[in-house]
Amino acid sequence: MSDLLNSLLDDARLWRGHRQLATEPTPEHTGFATLDKELGGLGWPRGALSECLLDGPGIGELQLVLPLLQRMTKRQQCVFWVNPPFTPYAPALARADVDLGQVVLVRTENQPDLLWTLENCLRSQATGLVLAWPDSLAARDIRRLQLAAEAGQSTCILFRSRQEACQSSPAALRLELVPDDRLGLKVNILKRRGGWPGQGCRLAMAARVQQDVTEASTVIHGPWPDHQSG
Amino acid sequence: MPWLYLHFQHLLLDHIARAREASAPLAVLCQGSRCVLQACPRAMARGVQPGTALKTALNLAPELVMVHADDNRQARILEQQAHWLYRYMDRITLYPPDGLLADAGSVRRLYGGLQPLREALQKALGERQLHATLTTGTTPLAARLLARAGADCFTEGTEVMATNLATLPLAATELEQRTLQRLTRLGLTTLGELQQLPAAELARRLAPETLVHIQRILGQRPDPQTSWQPPHEFRQRADFGLPVEKAQGLLFALQRILADLESDLQWRQQDTDSLLLILHHYRQEPSHLQVRTTGPEHRAEAFLNLLRIRLEQHPLQAPVETLELRVTRFLHRHTATSTDLLGETRDTGEAWHTLVSRLQARLGEQALKHLAPAADHRPERAWSACSLARQQREPMPEHLPLRPLWLLSQPAPLQVAPEEWLSGPERISGGWWDGERVLRDYYIARLPAGQLAWIYRHNQQGWFVHGWFG
Repeated sequence: MSDLLNSLLDDARLWRGHRQLATEPTPEHTGFATLDKELGGLGWPRGALSECLLDGPGIGELQLVLPLLQRMTKRQQCVFWVNPPFTPYAPALARADVDLGQVVLVRTENQPDLLWTLENCLRSQATGLVLAWPDSLAARDIRRLQLAAEAGQSTCILFRSRQEACQSSPAALRLELVPDDRLGLKVNILKRRGGWPGQGCRLAMAARVQQDVTEASTVIHGPWPDHQSG
Repeated sequence: MPWLYLHFQHLLLDHIARAREASAPLAVLCQGSRCVLQACPRAMARGVQPGTALKTALNLAPELVMVHADDNRQARILEQQAHWLYRYMDRITLYPPDGLLADAGSVRRLYGGLQPLREALQKALGERQLHATLTTGTTPLAARLLARAGADCFTEGTEVMATNLATLPLAATELEQRTLQRLTRLGLTTLGELQQLPAAELARRLAPETLVHIQRILGQRPDPQTSWQPPHEFRQRADFGLPVEKAQGLLFALQRILADLESDLQWRQQDTDSLLLILHHYRQEPSHLQVRTTGPEHRAEAFLNLLRIRLEQHPLQAPVETLELRVTRFLHRHTATSTDLLGETRDTGEAWHTLVSRLQARLGEQALKHLAPAADHRPERAWSACSLARQQREPMPEHLPLRPLWLLSQPAPLQVAPEEWLSGPERISGGWWDGERVLRDYYIARLPAGQLAWIYRHNQQGWFVHGWFG
């Protein structure tokens, strides 16, 4: 190449089209102000895996991702539910303003299919969010999924058992979810990018059953005594 | 007026050589007598010539792949050739088993003469690795006979065509053997000599049919041709000389066919969303593989990826002799929505179709579902899962009651006593109209582990968990 061209290329005033940098993606806020604050304003990482570790269903784990779900489907990005333990209940999702046209439920039969599915979903441009409930995942597999998520710039949230908390994982964000006694959810940050782990916060989740927390202390007596006697 | 005739000297040989990746010598055998009818250049180099006895041929080239000549099969192959020729010329007539006739006069102006047309056709033949003699003639029969005689006669001038025809030996005019003998005894050897005899004399001495034939050659009698109509479907076959045992071996031939499909779809300006791959086995029922894409598609690469996944999932049942690809469904093509200026936001519609087609090819179509609420009071019936292919939107029910995000597919008996009752009862009673009667009182309760459950009391059987407020 000629010297003239080289000197031109060195000139900082020359803007070269093919070296453009993509604009910084806006963070995927969790929708919970307290949790966003703990996560340093980064929210759910895009192009990386997140893990939610929990003991059992029904503690508000879907409530935690619901704001993200609403936003993704509104943006016409596809949300895949891979091997959920129960049926995502369509009337409840519709009530929560989730566009069901963007929700795809995927069931796989075996572990290789599951990994293949996750990897393909994560690599695709069309995917906004992948929610997955894998039985067990080796660290090797998680790293592979992590790379796939990076390639596709999609968000992936794995729901795993709390026993995995002691295992190390390449996921970018690890949250431990524990229910508290006032219908809320205690979120412990086990690992996050750009900050120290160990923080935690309490999220009020009582709204999912249309309850005020103050009201929750007054016990509504159902027909329980009847059952105990019978 | 000038008629163009393509005579494929060894169509079957070319066709099989095209489907095969390996470079073994190839020969076509006579159906009855056990001798070689056609041999590929590689076999020729080994000394296998047309007319060589089978045993000799096998000794010369032990790895020789042999195929029996089959006129039906060759007629099918010929029709495949008509498909692509139709893009260059119209009014094509099939002359099975090895010739195609086309009216060159109607496209002469389009190409600016016959010579550019010939170049275009030669190029197309070269791309398809086919060998054919191209000739022109003033009548369909003249063009055909010249081509079959192997005459190098591609010209625009009618006089040249006439002289070429005059020098055509009588042996090549497809006259009856007895007539031919009589003519030879009369000392006539070329068509030109026969032409000079008065017609009435010829008809008197020979059969009237002979005169009709000769008049047709010379254009003194009409010879109407029925034009071939391209069918509204895409169908191509690849024949393998030796049965293919591994799916990998099919991919080479598939690639070619899919490339043809792509150009066919491009030419039609249409897309398709389902392919049918038929694998013919030796003495077994053919196996059918249906591949669907979720959206209209025309790219060969996309189809190949899906077929590859499909073939990986379904190993071959038996060695494959012939592969057939059929597309009968064509869809209108619509333009993709363009991206923004900097190319940061992609058009995700296409990516979505690609992804879902891939997933469906591997997992099966039933593995992917859309969810939708349904109008029923019974919780297990208030939702439905529908396949992704149908994209019809049902109107959302107006009023949606408070429901859990998780629903258990089978209600599970309640094992522990709830700590706290949050709401209820909500009585759901219905289904008397279809025999699945439901009479339940639903409550929301908190279990000792902190889980919020949607439980109900069955009027007889006790307490069940039906959902989780996740």
